[in-house]
Amino acid sequence: MKKKASGLSLSMLWKVFGVAFFVYLFFGFMLLPCLNTLTQIFTAKNAAGQTDPLAVIRFFFAGNMPKFIWNSLKLAVCLVITVNIVGVSIVLLTEYFDIKGAKILRLGYMTTLIYSGVALVTGYLFLYDSDGILTTWLVKMFPNINKNWFSGFKAVLFTMTFACTSNHALFLRNAIRSIDYNTVEAARNMGAKPFQVLWKVVFPTLIPTLFSLTVMTFITGLCAMSAPTLLGYDSINPEIVRLAGSSSADEAFPQARAALLSIILAMFTIILLTVLSSYERKGHYLSVSKTKAKLVKQKITNPAANVLAHIYAYVLFVIYMTPVVMIVLFAFQNYSAIRSKTLSMDQWTLINFFGKQDFEFMTNRGKLKTRSGAISGLFANADTVGGIRLSFVLSAIAAGLACVIVVVAVNYIFKNKGKKRATVVEYCMLFPWLLPTILICYSYRTYFNSNDVWYVLNKNLYMRENVRFLIVMAYTVVKLPFALRMIKAAFYAIDDELEEAARNLGASNLVAFLRVKLPIVLPSVLAVFALNFNALFTEYDMSATFHSSYGKSYAMVIQNMCAEEGRDGYNVNASGRRCASTVFIMLVSGLILYLVYGVGARDLGERLERREKRRKRWAKLTGKAA
Amino acid sequence: MAETKDVMIELKNIVVRFGDFEALHNINVDVRKGEFFTFLGPSGCGKTTTLRTITGFIEPVDGSVNVNGEDITHVPIEKRNIGIVFQSYALFPTMTVYDNIAFGLKIQKLGKAEVDRKVREIARKVDLSDEQLKKAVSQLSGGQQQRVAIARALVTGPAIICMDEPLSNLDAKLRVQLRNELKKMQRDFGITTIYVTHDQEEALTLSDRIAVFNKGFIEQIGTPNEVYNHSKTEFVCNFIGDINRIDGEIAAQMRLDAAKHHFVRLERVRVNRPKDESELQLSGVIESREYYGLYIKYYIAVAGQTIKAIEKNDGINIYEPGEKVTVGIHPADLMSYDAPKA
Repeated sequence: MKKKASGLSLSMLWKVFGVAFFVYLFFGFMLLPCLNTLTQIFTAKNAAGQTDPLAVIRFFFAGNMPKFIWNSLKLAVCLVITVNIVGVSIVLLTEYFDIKGAKILRLGYMTTLIYSGVALVTGYLFLYDSDGILTTWLVKMFPNINKNWFSGFKAVLFTMTFACTSNHALFLRNAIRSIDYNTVEAARNMGAKPFQVLWKVVFPTLIPTLFSLTVMTFITGLCAMSAPTLLGYDSINPEIVRLAGSSSADEAFPQARAALLSIILAMFTIILLTVLSSYERKGHYLSVSKTKAKLVKQKITNPAANVLAHIYAYVLFVIYMTPVVMIVLFAFQNYSAIRSKTLSMDQWTLINFFGKQDFEFMTNRGKLKTRSGAISGLFANADTVGGIRLSFVLSAIAAGLACVIVVVAVNYIFKNKGKKRATVVEYCMLFPWLLPTILICYSYRTYFNSNDVWYVLNKNLYMRENVRFLIVMAYTVVKLPFALRMIKAAFYAIDDELEEAARNLGASNLVAFLRVKLPIVLPSVLAVFALNFNALFTEYDMSATFHSSYGKSYAMVIQNMCAEEGRDGYNVNASGRRCASTVFIMLVSGLILYLVYGVGARDLGERLERREKRRKRWAKLTGKAA
Repeated sequence: MAETKDVMIELKNIVVRFGDFEALHNINVDVRKGEFFTFLGPSGCGKTTTLRTITGFIEPVDGSVNVNGEDITHVPIEKRNIGIVFQSYALFPTMTVYDNIAFGLKIQKLGKAEVDRKVREIARKVDLSDEQLKKAVSQLSGGQQQRVAIARALVTGPAIICMDEPLSNLDAKLRVQLRNELKKMQRDFGITTIYVTHDQEEALTLSDRIAVFNKGFIEQIGTPNEVYNHSKTEFVCNFIGDINRIDGEIAAQMRLDAAKHHFVRLERVRVNRPKDESELQLSGVIESREYYGLYIKYYIAVAGQTIKAIEKNDGINIYEPGEKVTVGIHPADLMSYDAPKA
């Protein structure tokens, strides 16, 4: 009896701790900071120093603020069209149609999975900017061309179109792969032409996935940050960050206007997510087939269409691959080759990765000066290494924390299926999805930038090293909804009887969870960790909001190092180092994705078979040697 | 073993509710020590719910579960010492066969050597090789997986084993083969077994006794012979095996009580046999036939109704559709029940 009592109190303790933690997380880091932002709008003071709830709104409509909203909406709508065209194309070309070299094409199209965020945008700039490689080559051929052709709306749309197809490459690909080929054969058997099969049979099954992707793309376009900032386009998010850092001495109600823009963004997001969830509730086109046949790639029988499809596929491939290839090649070129945008074996170097070199330059007075260590490799430059290290650590902690919180929460949700408390926990975890990232970050920045928040021990979290904690919290909270959706899907795959079997064999709830359920969902949890980690590692929005000398993440280091390139003989090879760090990040991200999707996704049977094969190969080798 | 009268499991007035829905209404069952006891019934009749009440996954709102005289109604699942073989086998996919079997022993914190000894011992008994123990469960066939599930349930030495439709995932041939092995294993281990199935053939061939469930009630508890030949209710009579309902002109000719429903089993209908004194013989025409190899099932049009009959396939007396035959029904073979009140 005594033992039972202690067991009970321990489990009660866990429950109390869990509930307290969730309440703290939800109220402390989701609800209260955002409510504070909302109140800022309505507590703004007018010129007479009186609180005027409508002052900001009046100012909003009188000024140029609607322009930012219109620009963001225009970008979002156009992005939905272009991303869906390119996204559906790349999936059809690699998964549905029989295109020569599909495997290579797929690798090219998937590069955005390891090369995203600020790295991708700066990669495009490296090619298309006024002194980018492609622009330089074009100027040589056509001297009258506008060097600044790659900026503004078109540049943002182009960059984001290719940056945002990662989700299509992942989720639409899975959807098309799960199509029952027998349905295609049945349609063909009934006389449908290939295009009719695609339109009438294949597309309808993809609609739910496409709808979700469309909504997500729209939200991404609306909340775009890095591309508009770096390519010069006036949209909501960059304006919020600008206003957040502005002073009321320079302009009227900067913080309140930032808050209002954030709230408007949140309203759009809420409407879109409501539409999405009501659509999802209506149900999906599920295959009723019990014996699904694997999809067989369709040959394009019309020779002209076949040639056009191949040309289109390879043009897309070139667009995807060129920045990656150029960045990899120029990562191994010295600064003068990069400045002249010429590739040469003579200029081959590893200096962008390792070591330091001095730089000799002529001053304005005609003196030859030497700047010691002005050329430095990625791993020898304190700033770059610091940025990468900080981003790596903060992203890893946040991605891990989000996974742990969500796994515990989802386990609770499943254990209390159908009960109100499970629904409450689920909605709390999804709450950050209703708010744009920038609103959460902006709210953190303003709310925690004081010594008055008691539940963080009255510490100013925006000051000095504390900002790192704030970044981790923002990273974690922002990634909770995505982690919840993915990990919840993984939990659905667990047969209830497995836990019952473990309990029946004497395992406690905790042991059954740790030894039976967790190992089953672990591959999915690791996949979520990897996707979140990769996204956070190079993310820009939050880094820009929390940017300070203590919170200088990789994205900000990249941005800064290029802005300061070569000034006064410092940072001479900043572009080269940026290329090198992008290569490094692609390697890290690629390795993580390989470990998670390639190795981690193998089931035990597959792993044992591989081990057995390795053992036999080893025995054969050693046998021969003997 | 099954003949001993020692009651091992006793379900007393069990009532289970899910919200407003009452799934089990006052269930009373006694299972004897070493008995192979089957819960039989259609989907949703409450047989699995009863099993889950015994194993502790469901707590009844009323009544008690006793094992060897001890009330275990509120004992936690992990403390009940009842093994389970699940319908899906519920083998842990992230563990090898060995680890699956050893799971319960490790939970009991037994020494490594003892765990190893027990795992190998039980594996031998259920015919699993050392090579198979190293494999992942996904690398085994359905039949082998079922052996693993049984080994895992038995290795901790439970007093009772519960099996929830353990053969339903297997193909017909393997099902028959494993059915025999299951019965042999149960006899060898001498363990009290509760078996849940909707398959009457499985229930009849395996069980010492059967409880037939319907809509949360038990309709009859008895030996296979009792439930088949002396079905207590119309439901049991209809559910166990194929049956002919006798009514209309045939019932009139046999002068049967019109207030009752009358049934006769297919094998009791005599086709083209010499007339027995007390039987009613009618002429009929073969409508169609189904060939089963060992026997043939005939559909015969008799006095405005279709009567089914099965005849041993002797290779000589095989009737063709359209052929005229005589059909004999003995009044003693009829099972009669009060017609349900409207």
